[in-house]
Amino acid sequence: MTELLQTLIFGALIGGVYALMATGLTLTFGVMKIVNMTQGALLVLSAYLCYSLWVHFGIDPILGAFLITAPMGLLGVALYKLVIERVQRIDHGLTIVATFALAMIAEGLIALAWGPNTRATTPPYFNRSFRIGSLVVPQAQLYACLLAIGVTVVLQLVIKRSWLGYAITAASENPEGARLVGVEPVRVGAWIFAISVASTAFGGAALSFLFQFVPDSQDVWIGLTLSVVILGGLGSLAGAFAAGLLLGVAEAMTTTYVSVRWATAVPTLMILIVLTIRPQGLFTRATRQDLAT
Amino acid sequence: MRVTILRRTLVVAALAVLIAYPIVSNDLYYQNLLILTFMLAIGASGWNIMGGYAGYISLGNSVFIGLGAYTTGILAAKHGVSPFLGCLVGGLVCAIAAALLSLVTRRTRGMYFVIVTFAVLQLLALVTTTWSSLTGGSPGLALPLPTWSLDYQNWPFYYPLLGLLVLTVAVSALVRRSKLGLGLFAIQDDEDKATGLGLRTAVYKMIAFVLGGTFIGIAGGIYAYYVTFLNTGAVFDIVASVLMVLAALLGGRGTVWGPVVGAFILEPLANFTSTGIGGANSGAIRLLIFGGLLLAVVLFLPRGVLPTATSLWQRAMARRSRPSPDEGAGPAQRSSASISVSPRGSDVDGGGRVLEVHDVVKTFGGLHAVDGVDLAVERGSITGLIGPNGSGKTTLFNLIDGTVAARSGHIALGGKRIDRSGRATRAHAGLARTYQLPRLFPSLTVIENIVLPERRLSFTRLWRKRVTSPERQRAIAVLESLGLANFADTSPADLSYGQRKLVELAQALWLDPALIMLDEPAAGISPALSQRLADLIRSLHSQGVGILLVEHDLAFLSSLCQHVYVMANGKIIANGSVAEVSADRAVVDAYLGDDVALAPAEVHA
Amino acid sequence: MSEQDARPRQRPSKWVAGRRGIAAVGVATLATMVLAACSSSNSGSSGNTSGPLKIGMSLPLTGPVADVSKSGYEGYRLWASQVNASGGLIGRQVTLKVLDDGFQPAQSGSNYTRLITQDKVDLLLGTFSSLLNAPDSAIAARQGMLYIEPSGGAATLFTRGFKNLFFAQPATTTDLPNQFVEWVTSLPADQRPKTAAYVTQDDPSASPAVAIFKTKLEALGIRTVYNETYAPEESNFDTIAAAVSHASPELVIHGAVATDGVQFVRSLEKVSFSPKMLFQTKSPSDETYPSAIGTKNAQAVFTSVAWSPQAKYPGNAEFVAAYTKMFGHAPSEDAANSYTAGQVLAAAVKAVGRIDQKALADWLHSHTVDTIVGPLKWDSTGVPQGTMLLAQWQNGTLQIVAPKSAATTQEVLNLKPAWAS
Repeated sequence: MTELLQTLIFGALIGGVYALMATGLTLTFGVMKIVNMTQGALLVLSAYLCYSLWVHFGIDPILGAFLITAPMGLLGVALYKLVIERVQRIDHGLTIVATFALAMIAEGLIALAWGPNTRATTPPYFNRSFRIGSLVVPQAQLYACLLAIGVTVVLQLVIKRSWLGYAITAASENPEGARLVGVEPVRVGAWIFAISVASTAFGGAALSFLFQFVPDSQDVWIGLTLSVVILGGLGSLAGAFAAGLLLGVAEAMTTTYVSVRWATAVPTLMILIVLTIRPQGLFTRATRQDLAT
Repeated sequence: MRVTILRRTLVVAALAVLIAYPIVSNDLYYQNLLILTFMLAIGASGWNIMGGYAGYISLGNSVFIGLGAYTTGILAAKHGVSPFLGCLVGGLVCAIAAALLSLVTRRTRGMYFVIVTFAVLQLLALVTTTWSSLTGGSPGLALPLPTWSLDYQNWPFYYPLLGLLVLTVAVSALVRRSKLGLGLFAIQDDEDKATGLGLRTAVYKMIAFVLGGTFIGIAGGIYAYYVTFLNTGAVFDIVASVLMVLAALLGGRGTVWGPVVGAFILEPLANFTSTGIGGANSGAIRLLIFGGLLLAVVLFLPRGVLPTATSLWQRAMARRSRPSPDEGAGPAQRSSASISVSPRGSDVDGGGRVLEVHDVVKTFGGLHAVDGVDLAVERGSITGLIGPNGSGKTTLFNLIDGTVAARSGHIALGGKRIDRSGRATRAHAGLARTYQLPRLFPSLTVIENIVLPERRLSFTRLWRKRVTSPERQRAIAVLESLGLANFADTSPADLSYGQRKLVELAQALWLDPALIMLDEPAAGISPALSQRLADLIRSLHSQGVGILLVEHDLAFLSSLCQHVYVMANGKIIANGSVAEVSADRAVVDAYLGDDVALAPAEVHA
Repeated sequence: MSEQDARPRQRPSKWVAGRRGIAAVGVATLATMVLAACSSSNSGSSGNTSGPLKIGMSLPLTGPVADVSKSGYEGYRLWASQVNASGGLIGRQVTLKVLDDGFQPAQSGSNYTRLITQDKVDLLLGTFSSLLNAPDSAIAARQGMLYIEPSGGAATLFTRGFKNLFFAQPATTTDLPNQFVEWVTSLPADQRPKTAAYVTQDDPSASPAVAIFKTKLEALGIRTVYNETYAPEESNFDTIAAAVSHASPELVIHGAVATDGVQFVRSLEKVSFSPKMLFQTKSPSDETYPSAIGTKNAQAVFTSVAWSPQAKYPGNAEFVAAYTKMFGHAPSEDAANSYTAGQVLAAAVKAVGRIDQKALADWLHSHTVDTIVGPLKWDSTGVPQGTMLLAQWQNGTLQIVAPKSAATTQEVLNLKPAWAS
């Protein structure tokens, strides 16, 4: 029983971390139907920025995350204005290739700036745990998971309650109509990218104290974040959070009860099963498909 | 010089250089570079059959390199089979794997298919590593070294791969020119509609996938022998997959030579960037160069190098002025439009009902979109279906043609139940439809659009020319009667909205349907075209085609229909002649507040 | 091919097309001749006996093992600069020709082919990881080039009968467990661990060694309570650590390759499970290991190394000093390994006195070379006949504790303290 509970705790905590890392991708994928392949590189970039703040100024990576949101947001706007928006005008399908190219450029720049060595931040909580009876709750994961909940709730509020939320809905459902009522899709796109890239600051901070990283680490995270987004369904933040939890728990259960070797295959297997059986994602309802006619 | 001649000359010259090169030069590095380039070109061309023609973008095509390489490697290392024979077995394994993968496309499309292929790649890599008793596991699998004299350099790798490349491109060109290719492009444009026109799209896709995967698999087998050492990460490699996609995009997706051109740019580039820069930062700089170039291609050459170059060349060579697209948009050559059709089943029995719908129900969530509808169309009659917007008319059409599955109820065509059949089967049984907004295939010409429908699946037919001469003659006749003969070889995008509606009707009639369902054919078109359309419908009626017509224009309707059904809130609330239903109290209530004039005041002559 | 292709159009007469085709073939053949003439005029430079000695290698300077490769490259650079400072090899200055392969085996193979056939390098040096050295050593073997590799100890490499392959470490991974097992055997029966857990990455340099550990320790009567292999992509070790904690072994053997060594220890710290003994391959010798797990927590962790900065072999202290001076940080094991490969190459070239690949290989097969990892000699397949060193973190220093001949301290800690947080 303890073992099961412990497994569930680990799974849920790491699942929250997965969801946190995927938030930016969830936004661009869900709202703009853009698979942003730079997500991994942006996470790693955020982790390096947090690392530099930690090493040079002793700033805790979680605090560091708040400090770098603004520059990361600006970077998002720049990416959108300089590349994504242009490519979208040419051929939407090419955005995946363009962002893939951007990820390569980002990895190159990171390698030039920080070198190839393995890095990690080690704030006081990185290897400590709370104990509840015989159960272990690692502090690092817990804080990352709380960050995930915070970021998800704030973004959800922004999207549901603000001008931006209505603008996003309008621009994605009827760009022409949106323009008529003064919602410029380009401006909406820039905002989404700003928020999306800014939110990777938190994922990057979590990455910096939970894992070690090198410039090449982006490969690991793009695959995983993509799985979270797909399992969660089209860009629903709550769905992605649920998917992250599910993924984390499934992974932990596989590690404990099936085979350690197959644990990394869990996201892959779940994607395959979900996409061939329930392509709209686990947490979205089927809608009337011919409604447009 | 015309593009074709130029291209042919270039291809022959390039092939001659490639054949001669290893004989006149003993430079192993360039041989090695060309061998890797051939690999990439074969991979990209194979990918292109699925990704470029059918629009199913795979990010997992190195699965085939992996399967081909490991099959060959295991046969060579453990059973002493020559890799040059083993690679053929590898190709076979890949063919089977590709056929299985194509089954996935029954449910997954677009972005989801991309991700499924990515997942399949990862999973197979994991299985290969884990199944170490067969594959050698993580330490890898060593193949025997080549035994031929160094005097032969790498010829035994070079020439088979070059031959395989030529074969791959030849097959790719053949596919592109055939009905198979026509169907694949239609699948890329609008797969649902293609199914409705009787195309067994699953078969098309399976053939495309098998062709695409087999050649890569064979190449993978030869590659295994070339590198002499296999390791899961090296052959089931996402980077190799991505390179194939990039080569095709760079050269020109959906073209025959684009992927080859792309490969001949990318592979040397990858090599020169890694060998041309030295020092500890060379790797980072290489990433910058490669990423930057890729981005530049996307931003400045989005269609790919080859199509861009082709159109530049054509523009430079275009001396004579092109005919304006409006030319020939004139009136029909004959006074009244007609298309000759031999409706299926009409020779079997003359009378009876061609379509019977009984107690059909469809719900979306809690919404009863179609709620227990009974409806019948007499053979050779024109039956109308009217109702306010959102009353379920289009959903009913979708249920009849199989776009969506009914929750319960019976649907029969010519006395045979079709409600459990697929869309293609229903089309083969003689059901055709048009859409409220015409859905022509933009990648095909007008005439290709018309001859696309498939009355039954025939494997020999798939390999015929896109448009055979008899088909062309017949289609031109149809277009002439519609006054559109001059548009035969243009893109449907050049047509007006109304013209597109006419072409879509002609396309549906290519099936020789027993029943055709028309969804608001007269909406939004000019009175002249509307007149031509009415003529056409009457002519179909006279040839014995059953017609089910949704229309808001009651004047248009009452001039054509003997019998009308009225739908509201998913139910049939009345039926009878136009005059009878107009007087019906329930009908008037249903339409209350709508601007539709119920009384057939002005009837078209 | 453009979209127009599918559409009927006028075709040129066959004759015209045919003649153009023939003309094209002619032009192409001429062009090829010219190209070939150019490249063969280049090839006249091969077999140089004067001018700098070109030594080629392809390294994974980008990609997942970029950090290892960077150290390795620095080791090579130091070696080359020292050789040149002392007058070069057989009277010629040494230049390194380094290519990057991004950890792609195909690219790595291309690069070695290029080094041999295009750049006409006089000598080769090997690269990092078995996955790259396996195909590259085959290319070298096929071209009859001497191939001395600083890394790549997987058994598969030495089963292919190559005569020109030499591994520049004291031993392959097969030997890795020996010193530790011997030490455990030497303990009084009541101090030996009773139970052991085996956790390893599925990797050619880790999992075979861990399998040998398990066989040998089980033979000593140490009961296996946990035995799992994880995929190289694994990044989350908490659950594994919890399961290990649940099994509560006295000894943990971990086959770690890169960052997983640190990740696993961090997870053990989180679940507060501290085994009495911990052996990890590879990771603990990484310079960042102590800081990444908390400096005090490295105490008493065992690992196995090919080289130690404290080892008393001739030239080793000078290597450490010169490296630190040149690059501003202490050398890693990878740097030492590539430096060793350079030493082996230099010894052979000096002894033979000319660049003759076969003669160099023959000389190495029949001689012992003094290096910073001790005297090295090889069997006919290129497997070195030395032994790995057993190392242990003691008060912030990685000490060599076995074999006795190389030991930097006589004390071995056989009880790991609990984690400090």
